[in-house]
Amino acid sequence: MAALDSRGEVLDVQALPLPYFLLRARVGAMEPAEPGQFVMVAGANRPEPYLRRAFSVYDQEATPDGSLVISLLGKVIGRGTEALAACVPGERIPVLGPLGTGFHSVVDHSPESGRAALVAGGIGSAGLGLLAQALERAGRSFDFFYGGRSAEDLVEAETFRRLSERAGGRLVKTTEDGSAGERGLITTPLEAGLRAGAGYTTIFTCGPHGLMAAVARIAAAGGVAGEAATETPMGCGYGACLGCAVTLKNGGYALCCRQGPVFRLDEVAW
Amino acid sequence: MSAGAASLPPPDLSTRVGPLRLRNPILTASGTFGYGLEFAERADLHRLGGLVTKGLSLEPLAGNPPVRIAETRGGMLNSIGLQNIGVDRFLSDVLPGLKDLPPKVIVNLFGYAQDDYVRLAERVDPYEGVAAVELNVSCPNVSKGGIEFGHDPEILSRLVRRVRSATDKPIIVKLSPNVTSPQALGRAAEEGGADILSAVNTFVGMAIDTATMRPVLSTIRGGLSGPAIKPLALRIVFDVAREVDLPVIGIGGIETVDDVLEFLLAGASAVQVGTALFRDPRTAERLVDGLRERLRAEGTPSVESLIGAAARAE
Repeated sequence: MAALDSRGEVLDVQALPLPYFLLRARVGAMEPAEPGQFVMVAGANRPEPYLRRAFSVYDQEATPDGSLVISLLGKVIGRGTEALAACVPGERIPVLGPLGTGFHSVVDHSPESGRAALVAGGIGSAGLGLLAQALERAGRSFDFFYGGRSAEDLVEAETFRRLSERAGGRLVKTTEDGSAGERGLITTPLEAGLRAGAGYTTIFTCGPHGLMAAVARIAAAGGVAGEAATETPMGCGYGACLGCAVTLKNGGYALCCRQGPVFRLDEVAW
Repeated sequence: MSAGAASLPPPDLSTRVGPLRLRNPILTASGTFGYGLEFAERADLHRLGGLVTKGLSLEPLAGNPPVRIAETRGGMLNSIGLQNIGVDRFLSDVLPGLKDLPPKVIVNLFGYAQDDYVRLAERVDPYEGVAAVELNVSCPNVSKGGIEFGHDPEILSRLVRRVRSATDKPIIVKLSPNVTSPQALGRAAEEGGADILSAVNTFVGMAIDTATMRPVLSTIRGGLSGPAIKPLALRIVFDVAREVDLPVIGIGGIETVDDVLEFLLAGASAVQVGTALFRDPRTAERLVDGLRERLRAEGTPSVESLIGAAARAE
């Protein structure tokens, strides 16, 4: 993995609306990310916050001049995300990546791999963007389960509706306040789908810890394999600080930034 | 410092740190640079003066449970708990890839008991690729060992004396800032036969999550590092350099050329860069270039001409 540190040129920052935003940056020598991989980024020339932030690569596109344009889907929750949302076109921001281990089973995607379920909680949808594209390209059918507190949290619903429908699946939405889709938690239709024989052979999830833990239980109960894109506080993003430990079922720790951020649902001690 | 820099020879960045000769005074600090090779693809190892490995113990250690780090204003708290691959795997798997690189490889050693340090020193002693050992007697993040050796002058002196008998390598003792008088510990290390002091390790601190009303770190307390500690570390380096007859390697929040100069002027013969590497993995090599440029621009002939200049002024 040759992850290079480059200066990304901010192309635009779109409010989706805030607190959600989509930042697009042109990065020079960066290799394209695999689904589930991430970059470490920070706002331009800011002494604070001190550490960079980990962002999934939500979307990417190679440009004719050989550079890569990456899109980061974010939600302003603190100083780091605030600084990124405040970037203006033309600013140069540090981008280190692509980093980490993505969705391993991506190589096996084919129409014969069976149907997949992608389960996103709110901004966790950022971690599933490249995966949904890869499945659609590979002709592997999938349903996209998208849960949030309210309609505003399902910020990329149209993108995932389009991708899942093109792949012969559908978008399923839930919100806790009932402002979009069914009222309730996204795990309810996932479980119902499994019971009704939707035939999912793999479940992929990214979202709050509680959601991923629940998805892991549901997958285990249904005998379905799956993976989760996890998140922990990170110092460096490349294995030097050892700060991003994830506790595994075998009692050991794995680094979210290197062995992860994607882990098998059945290997993490949720 | 005078004008007319263009006609002068290039500044001499080399520095003698006791028995160690470094081609420049910029090293990477233990626990911030992995075992070195992690950085090979994103930093130019060739340009560093030296690198200090992650703390190594006799047996591999898994480290502390999450949460292990917390960002703070101007830095971060960590409680990694000395996760490491163990000294044997380092010597067999990692050192061969490092030993032919220009930077001096300094091995940071950690034990739970005096015997552990002695055995670790014996283990690394035959390896030519190891330029020096740094004794971690000041890690705030393990419940047992380490720090207790660094907080009692008599115990520290005895420990260093025992390690001294186990190896001919230069011995660096890394001082804790969490004591009333780091210089007293420095003198104790000197009495035990240490060659060099490094100062300082992290400051004990904590952070609380106001949403959960619980400490952020699983171990409650952790070590504070980053620019926030620089003035505190600088003061300790100044006092230790003045009061102990050993060369000092300065550590604490170093990120800019000015930071490097301040530590040199305070009496450090070299510096270690740590937390700043997390923000930018190329910080250390940039400091090598930046320091050379600065000395050239100001007509300063050498790094060694700066060491301790501020102490002499007092």
